[in-house]
Amino acid sequence: MKIARKKMRVEIPNVAMGDIAFNLLIFFVILARAQDDSHLKWEAAASAKVEAADNAKVSVLVDKDNKLYLNGRNVGESALAKEIESLLGTAPPGERIVLLKIHKETQAQRFEPIIEAVSEAGGDLVHVLEEKERTP
Amino acid sequence: MRLTRNTNLLVEPPSVATGDIAFNLIVFFLVCASTQPDSGRKQNIPKSESKEEQKQQSENIEVTLDRTGAAINGVRAAPVDFVPKLRRLLSTKTRPEDKIVVVKSSKDTPYHHWIAVTGMIDEAGGIVTLQLEEERTVMAP
Repeated sequence: MKIARKKMRVEIPNVAMGDIAFNLLIFFVILARAQDDSHLKWEAAASAKVEAADNAKVSVLVDKDNKLYLNGRNVGESALAKEIESLLGTAPPGERIVLLKIHKETQAQRFEPIIEAVSEAGGDLVHVLEEKERTP
Repeated sequence: MRLTRNTNLLVEPPSVATGDIAFNLIVFFLVCASTQPDSGRKQNIPKSESKEEQKQQSENIEVTLDRTGAAINGVRAAPVDFVPKLRRLLSTKTRPEDKIVVVKSSKDTPYHHWIAVTGMIDEAGGIVTLQLEEERTVMAP
């Protein structure tokens, strides 16, 4: 008489699935943050009247160190107009929003050519500002 | 005497779900963080023009900015007087193209000051346009 050997069942532990998903999510979050400009240091100028800006494809930022970034990527001022134009493509008016995030202490010799480049590329300029607190 | 059997079983929440709960919490906070909108001010700036075309606009109001102050047509204006004075000047203009206000800034004008003054120009009903100094490199023979 043959005695049947007891088969051992091998299963992938389900407990680990949540941890794997968690780690994947953190990986993609870090990857996404590296592509936007939220990691750059700048302070917005204040204005009494601000309105919510619509979603924009293009964001131009000048940080505290006077460096220029286009969608979080360091670019030169001379190439800015053409790069914005290529990013906006054939988008119709109203969908050509360019967010301008300029550090409040930046001087005119730096930001005026940037504004001109956005205008040259046919972008709808939106200055990103913070609302000035009104004193009672 | 009859003994009653204790039928209350110990019920533990399944620990398998902990990872999934954490996952959903992160997705929730991520969505909350990413939907925070930017706020700001729209500005329509006319495209740059050549010097010949600018000659035609010689009658436009000119606002000069320096590091701390502003002047309308060369006359210094205090922040409180700026909007009424500019509004008065613009009220005499009827055509939309005459409502263009040429903004000339000194090189060291800070952005926060520029934003404050251009905001006041908008408030007075003017259309902001920039006048930049062109830099040209001349090759020596």
